[in-house]
Amino acid sequence: MDVLDNYKKVWKNQPEDSNKLTSVEIYKMAHSRSSSIVKWIFIIGILEFIFWTAINLTIPDSFYKIYEDLDLMGYLNFFMVLHYIVIAIFLFLFYKNFKRVSLVDNTKKLINRILKIRKTVKYYVFYNLATVFLGSIILNMVMFSDNNKLMKVMNPDNLALDIKQVITITVISQIIALVIILVLLWLFYKLVYGILLRKLNKNYKELVKLTDN
Amino acid sequence: MQKDLEAKFLSDFETNQNIAHKICRVYTTNREAHNDLFQEITIQLWKNYPKFRGDSKFSTWMYRVALNTAISLYRKSTRRVKTQDISDFAYKIKSQDYDDTEELQLKALYKAVHQLNDIDKALIFLYLEDKPYKEISETLGITSVNARVKMNRAKEKLKNILNP
Repeated sequence: MDVLDNYKKVWKNQPEDSNKLTSVEIYKMAHSRSSSIVKWIFIIGILEFIFWTAINLTIPDSFYKIYEDLDLMGYLNFFMVLHYIVIAIFLFLFYKNFKRVSLVDNTKKLINRILKIRKTVKYYVFYNLATVFLGSIILNMVMFSDNNKLMKVMNPDNLALDIKQVITITVISQIIALVIILVLLWLFYKLVYGILLRKLNKNYKELVKLTDN
Repeated sequence: MQKDLEAKFLSDFETNQNIAHKICRVYTTNREAHNDLFQEITIQLWKNYPKFRGDSKFSTWMYRVALNTAISLYRKSTRRVKTQDISDFAYKIKSQDYDDTEELQLKALYKAVHQLNDIDKALIFLYLEDKPYKEISETLGITSVNARVKMNRAKEKLKNILNP
């Protein structure tokens, strides 16, 4: 007889849990607040949407002066409208993916759908980073194409700097800012999603692992 | 309508609650965590109950929702202080012929199962509960062939832990 058959018998004979609940206790429990991973992913996702939108909204008007100086206000307004449409699309997808999570599905499908919610937020963050990145490339291209404009934007107080120094300062300060932002973001994601998703990723991999390995 | 549904749920769950307790005992190692997971399972069962059409048995449906909660939704709290191992807790002994050897073997079994990963735990649990491969593969979302292969491996792992 297989050794596990014996244990199976023991398993079958195991007594019921000593902590048997009455229907009143079950009722109370069923109406208490969930603290599931999905809920946390949803909350953090919403916070990220708020964070990135807030960044757009809190940019001071003086920042836009640079666009005015470079005659780019028309383009900026157009892209802002486009930007809000894209945010709306992302929010819709995020909510749709969240709603599709169903505990009645099989485990593989369930984990897949939970990870999809997270992916929507990830792409949203990528999108934001891409717009920042593209925006600054366009800005730089316009600035560097015309030395007079560059001097006007980067050296408005007419300090005694030559054009080469202005270019160096512009490039270096942008690189430093970019590195700081990327490091902070990376840390944030490693920490928050590392904790939340480690278990799900591990279990998902276990399920999709091929049989012949 | 809501009241009827609630009453039906409570009676269904009350009768079948031991399934949830067993799953909690498989996936957690102390009483506090056990109760935590049990609560989350109860919440999820109730939340999903309106979708339960009754075309399968309540218990079959419950296995799926409860296992899904343990595998995918439950997050172990890191703040929790390490408390006693659950195998040290006294479980109510019901049957007369339930002897010490069996109790020790059961504790050894749970202890061994705790060393498996989440998916292997589910496989072994469903095996111990005598579920057919069809149901196991449908619950986890893998093919029957895959379920068989994975099951054999999980059993091997368990055997090695029990009899090194």
